[in-house]
Amino acid sequence: MQITINRDGQNYGPYTVEQLQQMLQAGRAKLTDLANYEGAAEWVPLSQIPGVTQAQSTPAAAPIDADTYVPTGQHEHEFRIECKPDFSFLTVQVPASQTLKVEASAMATMSTNMVMKTKMKGGLSRFLGGENIFINEFTAQAGPAEIGIAPGSPGDMDHVFMDGSSEIFLQSSAYVASSMNVDVDSKWQGFKGFFSGEGLFLLRCTGQGDLWFNTYGAMIEVPVDGNYVVDTSHVVAFTSGLEYNVESVGGLKSLFLSGEGLVCRFHGQGKVWIQTRHPMAFANWAYPFRPQQNN
Amino acid sequence: MQIDITHRPGNSAAKVSLQAGESITAEGGAMIAMSGHMQVETTTHKKGEGSVLGALKRMVTGESFFINHFTPAGAPGEVFFGTALSGDMMEYNLNGPGLMVQGGSYVASAPTVNMDIQWQGFGKALFSGESMFLIHLSGSGPVILNSFGAVYPIQVNGDYIVDTGHIVAFEESLTYEVSKVGKSWISSFLGGEGLVCKFRGQGTVWCQSHNAGSFGTALGPSLKPR
Repeated sequence: MQITINRDGQNYGPYTVEQLQQMLQAGRAKLTDLANYEGAAEWVPLSQIPGVTQAQSTPAAAPIDADTYVPTGQHEHEFRIECKPDFSFLTVQVPASQTLKVEASAMATMSTNMVMKTKMKGGLSRFLGGENIFINEFTAQAGPAEIGIAPGSPGDMDHVFMDGSSEIFLQSSAYVASSMNVDVDSKWQGFKGFFSGEGLFLLRCTGQGDLWFNTYGAMIEVPVDGNYVVDTSHVVAFTSGLEYNVESVGGLKSLFLSGEGLVCRFHGQGKVWIQTRHPMAFANWAYPFRPQQNN
Repeated sequence: MQIDITHRPGNSAAKVSLQAGESITAEGGAMIAMSGHMQVETTTHKKGEGSVLGALKRMVTGESFFINHFTPAGAPGEVFFGTALSGDMMEYNLNGPGLMVQGGSYVASAPTVNMDIQWQGFGKALFSGESMFLIHLSGSGPVILNSFGAVYPIQVNGDYIVDTGHIVAFEESLTYEVSKVGKSWISSFLGGEGLVCKFRGQGTVWCQSHNAGSFGTALGPSLKPR
């Protein structure tokens, strides 16, 4: 049986049932695509073609690519993260009249019924101090809406469901998006100063709901039980329950000569997320390629 | 020692798991994270020996002047290494013939591996703007190298030409000659191909899909003058 499919007015195929099953598995065809086979009077959704749905009913999960992440554990909103780990891109389904908090300028695509409001966290003084984070609020009006979110840096992304019992500390540029009931506190000063010299400050995330954050480069999740050391510029996030000090690696000689700069020594029990690259190292590498000033 | 290269090929990191007392030597600045009980020693030379001359030579190759030695004290430990640019990493088990590594591609090696610098001539290096310094690794043990972009091996049997900016490493069994690609220096230079390496013999050359110097040159005009 040769089947032609039609999506958005465009015909594709014809394909055999086996080919279509493979395409469904790979996510290249959808059960909602219109399909027509020779001798059939009209176009029907692909799900109604005999032989196609049976194969689909066995694996419960929707067909996804290997580099796509859909939540398997607890979550508030339906979402998927595609093109992991190098070019992670987040798509969230927001139910009618609900709101999602998103890092400013990270919105790439959205439904037309999504309405945006800009919130400045921290106020003007912190804005002038270069320590601000703008968060936009996207509300789905008159029905559910979808939003596609692309962070500034190419890299990996992770999702954490916060159950209200613990806190997550985020390096500020790592914040991507969160549920309304997750409070993102940039005024909080607790660990500030520890990161001096690295140009970083931390956000404290509390409350209940989804939290998404990203890295430059790939992300590694390290469970800490006891004691673990991370280069300060590679820290992305960590859970409450971990205490830390900033120090140099090795002895005094290593401080100046090892090329490792400062490190965070975490202790306690929890999780640390680290990034395999960092923007400052890339900027330093690019420096010699800058043109010379003409005087 | 166990080496796992994760998140290949775009933003690879190397995770090295060490037994208590076991060491790994790495380029300065390569460490991303490590176990809390890791001891770090910074030297200008191979652990237990070496010279300042070696360190000077290393600095000229584009590697850091100093190298770090990581040793977990009392219990097994782990250390992650990364690089500044995006790209892949590879593990190579040195055993027998040595390996020539392009300056900048070296990440880490076991303490049983010896490092020495080989210099390919100043004039040529200046002309091409590409680093024509090689690190000679000998002895035995695992070595970690990085590439800008993907890394792929080429089996040479007879002769083969690789642009100097695309070389990651090659086996010592190959003889090589750095030369211009065109008939004259002018055409080589204007053709944008600069210097190439002509390999002869039998062995493997590992190449990187992208040339970091070319990327920098492409990026340069968009950057603010310094």
